[in-house]
Amino acid sequence: MAEILRKDARTALHEKPGAEQSESRTLGANVVEDGRYMPPPTDEDGKQWVRTSVLIKGEPRDLYGLWHNVEDAPLWQEQIASVTRTGEKTSHWTMQSATGTLEWDSEIMADEPGHRISWRSIGGDSENAGEVVFEAAPGGRGTYVTVLQEFRMGKLASGFETLTGRNPKQAVIENLRQFKALAETGEIPRTHGQPHGPRGAAGTVKSAAYAENVAQPPGLERMAS
Amino acid sequence: MKAVCWMGKSKIETLKVPDPVILNPHDAILRVTRTAICGSDLHLFDGFIPTMEQGDILGHEFMGIVEDVGRDVKNLKPGDRVVVPFTIACGQCEFCHKGLWSACDNTNPNAHLMETAYGYSGSGLFGYSHMMGGYAGGQAQYVRVPFANIGPLKIESDLPDEKVLFLTDIFPTGYMAAENAQIAEGDAVAVWGCGPVGQFAIASAFMLGAGRVIAVDRIPERLELARSLGAITVDYTEQDVSVLQAMRDLTGGMGPDSCIDAVGLEAHSNQLQGVYDKVKTMLMLETDRPIVLRQAIQAVRKGGTLSVPGVYGGLLDKVPFGAAFGKGITMKMGQTHMHKYMKPLLERIEKGQIDPSYIISHRITLEEAPHMYEVWRDKKEKVTKIVIDPWAEKAA
Ligand SMILES: NC(=O)c1ccc[n+]([C@@H]2O[C@H](COP(=O)([O-])OP(=O)(O)OC[C@H]3O[C@@H](n4cnc5c(N)ncnc54)[C@H](O)[C@@H]3O)[C@@H](O)[C@H]2O)c1
Ligand SMILES: [Zn+2]
Ligand SMILES: [Zn+2]
Repeated sequence: MAEILRKDARTALHEKPGAEQSESRTLGANVVEDGRYMPPPTDEDGKQWVRTSVLIKGEPRDLYGLWHNVEDAPLWQEQIASVTRTGEKTSHWTMQSATGTLEWDSEIMADEPGHRISWRSIGGDSENAGEVVFEAAPGGRGTYVTVLQEFRMGKLASGFETLTGRNPKQAVIENLRQFKALAETGEIPRTHGQPHGPRGAAGTVKSAAYAENVAQPPGLERMAS
Repeated sequence: MKAVCWMGKSKIETLKVPDPVILNPHDAILRVTRTAICGSDLHLFDGFIPTMEQGDILGHEFMGIVEDVGRDVKNLKPGDRVVVPFTIACGQCEFCHKGLWSACDNTNPNAHLMETAYGYSGSGLFGYSHMMGGYAGGQAQYVRVPFANIGPLKIESDLPDEKVLFLTDIFPTGYMAAENAQIAEGDAVAVWGCGPVGQFAIASAFMLGAGRVIAVDRIPERLELARSLGAITVDYTEQDVSVLQAMRDLTGGMGPDSCIDAVGLEAHSNQLQGVYDKVKTMLMLETDRPIVLRQAIQAVRKGGTLSVPGVYGGLLDKVPFGAAFGKGITMKMGQTHMHKYMKPLLERIEKGQIDPSYIISHRITLEEAPHMYEVWRDKKEKVTKIVIDPWAEKAA
């Protein structure tokens, strides 16, 4: 038992049957460092941060693969109309909302197969950088996928919100949620396109309040009958 | 098609709307053959559940015939007769794996709304507000069923719809309430509310070994149904009746081993406490009226169990948590983990152990639904359960 305890740690607990068997771990975008919880960076100087995590039933390797396939991002990322590879590490992104289009180029900064990808934008309408980490969850429960995303958008950030109908931080959270749904079930839950009665005068206000005016990404295939 | 639409608080209309179509690979489209109005629908009707939108199609209790299936639905084919659970579950996430189906991670496209209110989001539900997914409901001629590979239960015997329809919600809900009550052989179990959920909780409590069941309500025909199941009934509005005294009197002074709150946030009271909650909810200082919850916490014996199938939505005032702690009670609650119970309960119906159709009092058309919501709310016309045939024409 002793070898699994951190070398300098004093402990009164001599049996931890379910505990993680590693000495020290660096989790997705540093959630845990040397046994301590690390809060996400705080917003300052026009930089905004969001960190979000999900547990996905699946292997880190496979989930890494799904994420790495940037050209499939429109399947699960909100309002991404297309992604084209422009080089070994670069891609061109087009975001289409009801009211406009944003375009930018992105470059992969670090790529550790089965574990971690980090990227940053290299010009265009969005200044962002991000990292995703895939790590086996304790107890064999699947994979913790953690995304840390930074926006250096200043005025653009609120422009993004006006343009896309979605707070950019929430968009990161929704995208990871949708990534999980696609990975686990092969589809993204969808209500757009179902019948309803007349929405009345308050309809548009309500659908904006519920963020239902943001197009739901298609998942693998929409019409599949 | 025709569908029952929520058009505002206390405003329900049957309207013509477009037919549903398949939107995702695991979808199915059903031709609805029977659907029902639930006590939970009253919380929408009365405006207690936020994030409803004008035009929403209501209804989470329904069954029907499969019309069409999406590419990845292999277990069903057109023509199959199915009962659909009111909670939508993916079958693949951690919660589905644990059997906590109503906590499914992957079926609520509006999970962010529920996360804001509750910390985490539960599964999507049919016809039950945008916070719970914004899915169109089944009080309609057709309905789209997401994750039809996981939820719908095929009915292969020739049992009539009415005998199996309540597998869609209230029978499993009553059953889970009894299971959550942790009943041991011979236990005394008290059930508040003798509506459909209370009825099935009473029946299930006996199935799980209860020696005595005490049923509380004020509606004569509902109390009569409870007695027909073998319960001892207490009418809490009768003069000189104190529910807490009755609980002691009927359990040798000890209190029931388990209490089940099958009433929820719209509990009725003609006493001062009821006025207090009414005023507070009107002033938006409280969202729910936890009259039964308070009573049940007081009534349950030391170390006993409180099971809450009745729905609560928001913030509750003056809940005697000290009493709960002081007696060391266990509390279990939540939306029913439908998928776990449907098959075993179908078997009980097939074996003739129970005929759930005994609670039906009204059989109606879609056009009659708006009026019947009022009847259902006011508990008039001896109503105990309303079933809709979406294809029936109004009998002249
Ligand atoms: N947990 C779930 O998944 C789930 C599923 C279905 C229904 N529900 C909930 O269960 C509850 C009951 O549903 P239902 O269809 O039986 O509704 P219902 O409205 O027909 O029944 C409620 C009953 O409670 C009685 N009642 C009201 N105040 C009372 C009081 N102070 N003491 C004793 N009885 C009182 C009423 O007279 C009525 O008979 C509702 O809150 C409903 O939303 C929960
Ligand atoms: Zn119901
Ligand atoms: Zn699930």
